[in-house]
Amino acid sequence: MTAPATTADTRRAGWLYQALRSPSFMAGAIIAGIFVIIALGSFVWTPYDYAAQNIPNKLKGMNAANWFGTDQYGRDVFSMILVGARTSIAVAVIAVGLGVMIGVPLGLWAAARRGTLLDEVIMRANDLVFAFPALLIAVLITAIFGPSATNAVIAIGIFNIPVFARLTRAAAISLWTRDFILSARVAGKGAARISAEHILPNILNTLVVQITIQFSLGILAEAALAYVGLGAQPPIPSWGKMLADSQTLIALAPHLAIIPGLCIILTVLGLNLLGDGLRDIFDPRLQRGRR
Amino acid sequence: MIRFLAGRLLSVALSLLAASIIIFLVMEVLPGDPAQFILGMNARPDTLAALRTQLGLDAPPLLRYFNWLFGMLHGDFGLSYTYRVPVSELIMQRIGVSLPLAIISLTLTLLIAFPAGILAASKRNSLTDVGVMGVTQIGVAVPNFWFAIILVYVFAVTLHWFSAGGFGGWNKGLWPGLRSLVLPSIALALPQASILARVMRSALLDTLDEDYIRTARARGLSRRQALWGHALRNALIPVLTIIGLQFAFLLAGTIIIENVFSLPGLGRLIFQAIGQRDLIVVKSVVMLLVFAVILVNFLVDVAYVAIDPRLRRRA
Amino acid sequence: MTLLTIKDLRLSIGDVEILKDIDLSLDAGKVLGIIGESGSGKSMTALSVMNLLPQAAQRGGSILLNGEELLQKSEREMNAIRGREIGMVFQEPMTALDPLKTIGHQVAETILVHGAASRRDAYAEADRVLERVGLPRDRFPRDRFPHELSGGQRQRVVIASAIALKPKLLIADEPTTALDVTTQARILELLRRLVDEDGMGLMFITHDLAVVADLADAVAVMRQGDVVEAGPTREVFRTLAHPYTKALFEASSHVPPRDPSLPGGPPVLEVSGVVRDYRIAPTRMFGPAGAFRAVDDVSFTIERGENVGLVGESGSGKSTLARALMALEAVQAGTITLDGKPLSDTDLEARRKLQVVFQDPYGSFNPRQRVDTLITEPFHLLGGAAPRGEERQRRIDKALTDVGLSPSDAHKYIHEFSGGQRQRIAIARALIIEPSLIILDEAVSALDVSIRAQILDLLAELSDRLEISYLFISHDLSVVRSITDRVLVMKSGKIVESGKTEDVFRDPQHPYTQELLAATPSLERSMAGA
Repeated sequence: MTAPATTADTRRAGWLYQALRSPSFMAGAIIAGIFVIIALGSFVWTPYDYAAQNIPNKLKGMNAANWFGTDQYGRDVFSMILVGARTSIAVAVIAVGLGVMIGVPLGLWAAARRGTLLDEVIMRANDLVFAFPALLIAVLITAIFGPSATNAVIAIGIFNIPVFARLTRAAAISLWTRDFILSARVAGKGAARISAEHILPNILNTLVVQITIQFSLGILAEAALAYVGLGAQPPIPSWGKMLADSQTLIALAPHLAIIPGLCIILTVLGLNLLGDGLRDIFDPRLQRGRR
Repeated sequence: MIRFLAGRLLSVALSLLAASIIIFLVMEVLPGDPAQFILGMNARPDTLAALRTQLGLDAPPLLRYFNWLFGMLHGDFGLSYTYRVPVSELIMQRIGVSLPLAIISLTLTLLIAFPAGILAASKRNSLTDVGVMGVTQIGVAVPNFWFAIILVYVFAVTLHWFSAGGFGGWNKGLWPGLRSLVLPSIALALPQASILARVMRSALLDTLDEDYIRTARARGLSRRQALWGHALRNALIPVLTIIGLQFAFLLAGTIIIENVFSLPGLGRLIFQAIGQRDLIVVKSVVMLLVFAVILVNFLVDVAYVAIDPRLRRRA
Repeated sequence: MTLLTIKDLRLSIGDVEILKDIDLSLDAGKVLGIIGESGSGKSMTALSVMNLLPQAAQRGGSILLNGEELLQKSEREMNAIRGREIGMVFQEPMTALDPLKTIGHQVAETILVHGAASRRDAYAEADRVLERVGLPRDRFPRDRFPHELSGGQRQRVVIASAIALKPKLLIADEPTTALDVTTQARILELLRRLVDEDGMGLMFITHDLAVVADLADAVAVMRQGDVVEAGPTREVFRTLAHPYTKALFEASSHVPPRDPSLPGGPPVLEVSGVVRDYRIAPTRMFGPAGAFRAVDDVSFTIERGENVGLVGESGSGKSTLARALMALEAVQAGTITLDGKPLSDTDLEARRKLQVVFQDPYGSFNPRQRVDTLITEPFHLLGGAAPRGEERQRRIDKALTDVGLSPSDAHKYIHEFSGGQRQRIAIARALIIEPSLIILDEAVSALDVSIRAQILDLLAELSDRLEISYLFISHDLSVVRSITDRVLVMKSGKIVESGKTEDVFRDPQHPYTQELLAATPSLERSMAGA
């Protein structure tokens, strides 16, 4: 009796403890945290107005007045990076949110009706979306509505729906075969109630890990769309757009390409580390030290 | 086996049909009149009407859909609104850039990812493993177009080994063409290779934990023999799925990378076409790309059958 | 001559001590049974001999095979020994073979990896070995894949790959635990034959005393990483010198005290002419869908307070019948009435009279809910009439007390309990709604014998006191015999024999029942046959 209780206690109380001891989790949480703080902070304060041009002061390297230098219009790159973080994170968060809000219920529904026509239709529709790479969706949407941050959100969001629908369905189906679900069915509970009470809480870990991964992919996708001009429109800065502008000036001012690129890499790296850390913490196999 | 493949072929056909309907509908709701766009704002109404008839724009939507669909079935994609040449001709010119680019990047991806993933898994927790995992962790986070810009800066602007952009063309021989694709392929392949190497490693580690590996070890196989003899083939099943998905990413990636290097491929074509409201080109190129993705996923299914006897039926 | 001598074997994984000073020995041509409950270290002892331990494992002491010290062998030397000198067979035949390689390949691999023959000869030898283990070439050609074989056949392939080079020592770790009794009997027969023919030593690991009693020449009883007693089988089982051996022995043949009288009244469950068909996918592309009759015209009744056993092997239809009784699947024909009311999936009123306890104590609870939430789940069947507040609390306390737990356990999570305690909680969940009938679906099969005896006592006591009826579904005939009044034997969807438990066990009428009983290892029988 005492033996299982102690291991169980350490497991429960140890969630935070394990998190603190996981280098991936800590590094990821710190890096991602910094960028979120930067993004939020940019609402309150930036060193300069991100849109203010100052042509005489153009293409300056890093210096005390302009920490990250200035671009070809003399705008302060540091201020643009701060506001760009806002754009990146906002687009990624809303797009992933869209994917979760639609994809997870679809996946739960398909799993509850697995093997039926409904399941087949949902999953085939998902497969179809996968045939359109996210960028192609963006191209189509932009062709209709014109380029904007909103359309970037929709394009990335649509692509996230099947990701979450598939993951949810797969995780939910393996739970549906478990005895505790059978027991809930013997107690007369319906599929919707079982999905909400028993399935969803038990796949939450898996979802959280995937959310961090999709979030990092969202940042990358937003940058790519902005780079080809399908994302946020000027004067709103975004990292991808800054890279596109830097390209012709690369010989003159390489810092204009390097800084936004490093910001993207760091953010994505941070989120991926966070996801890996969470996976390690959640995965019971790893807790038993198999790997 | 025949049954499985027949089933997959049927679903390929259905997917293509569904995709064509979606693409057509999207283009239908698109604001703006191509005829107006071609002739400009001051065009006379009767010339506009004549051009509409000539382009087939005044037919009922259902008819236009079927005309488009059956046209594509025998290679007739219609006439480009702006260039006044068959769309198929435009596509044929551009595909000579995009297809080699996608194939070279995919090959590069596999050539990097497989050895790296296998090496990391076979020496789990060693310095090599940690090194591979660290490098790929960063590789996954690098946007390919940024990597492309840096490659241009280093190898074109600074070292002058390659040109910063443009396409040498295939008519002057293999090398000038290939040479223009070297940097774009590397830029596309490295991030994808990082992803695949990580997937390969974790799939291998998962299969190395399976009961049948223990059975094989009890037969006297070394860890290495068990990995090559049993784990690798089993690990290929999840890896193949990822390769299928990655092909879609690579295709999308070519659209962006072609922009970085000013390569005259399908990606550039689609952007130009959108700018010029050349809808018939947009429609056809999107359809072609979707076809490529669906085809690759079908090939992945065929590969599953080749690997996994459980999908084959004994005659 | 002594083939294997294990002396002072110690094993630790990380900081955890797994084995402490194990001493064992095995002669060529003999069978050593190693008996123990879960966590006794019996499998780890086997893996120590093979040196197939987890990476963090540390071994100490000595393992001599034919006088050679295995602990000092390098990994390369061990590779040469594994498969050639020592073969091993594992518990789970369904996952023990590479699904992508033919069975012939996996047997020939043993020969090829040791360079014992050319490719062609190795495959020819594989054919002969497969024939030897009862998989003749005309029916099981070597290009078959594992998924085309049944569990018992796959275990034969694993055995073939283990004995292909005629090793001196064969280790079998619960090789028949996952198999049906009749299959188990044939595999045990095969192993015994191979030992006799090849003169190899067999180390047979099991939790089931009855299995070793028949098979082993000598036994060792393990508990918590220690050998508590070892010696010739008969001697050990006769004298029962060590208290733990005695306790194990008694728990294995435990019969809970029960009051055989029934309270009378109308029957609790009446099943009449029930049929359950499954659609199976058509064999040709547009061919007609086939149907598989999993339950074929089954009728029986259960009286109030009566314990009825339902036995059969996998695929007999007993689980399908159970699911139909739980109103989880519609039946194609026939009626089921519970306490006089017809059962249907929408009528919660009728369904509340029936509750279920499942096999797996680890899988039958939502890990994210507390015990009070878990055991009050059946209140959902009462709808608006579900007890609330103090009444709910009283019912929780009573259910927990009834199964021997404390009311204070209500606020704990399920992972804070051991397997046996979880099964008590599962029983509490079934009791809380005061049902007339509880279906026990292999409810004690996953438990160690000592825990199993306690749970059987609890079930017997509850049935007598609360006048609850049980439908006791199990593949384990000895358990069914110990707790039921009446038994139904099921095969291919039909009930082939039914009657008073003692009568059926003493004088089985149907040939299938006779076969089942003959195949079931029995302590009593092997002791009597001495």
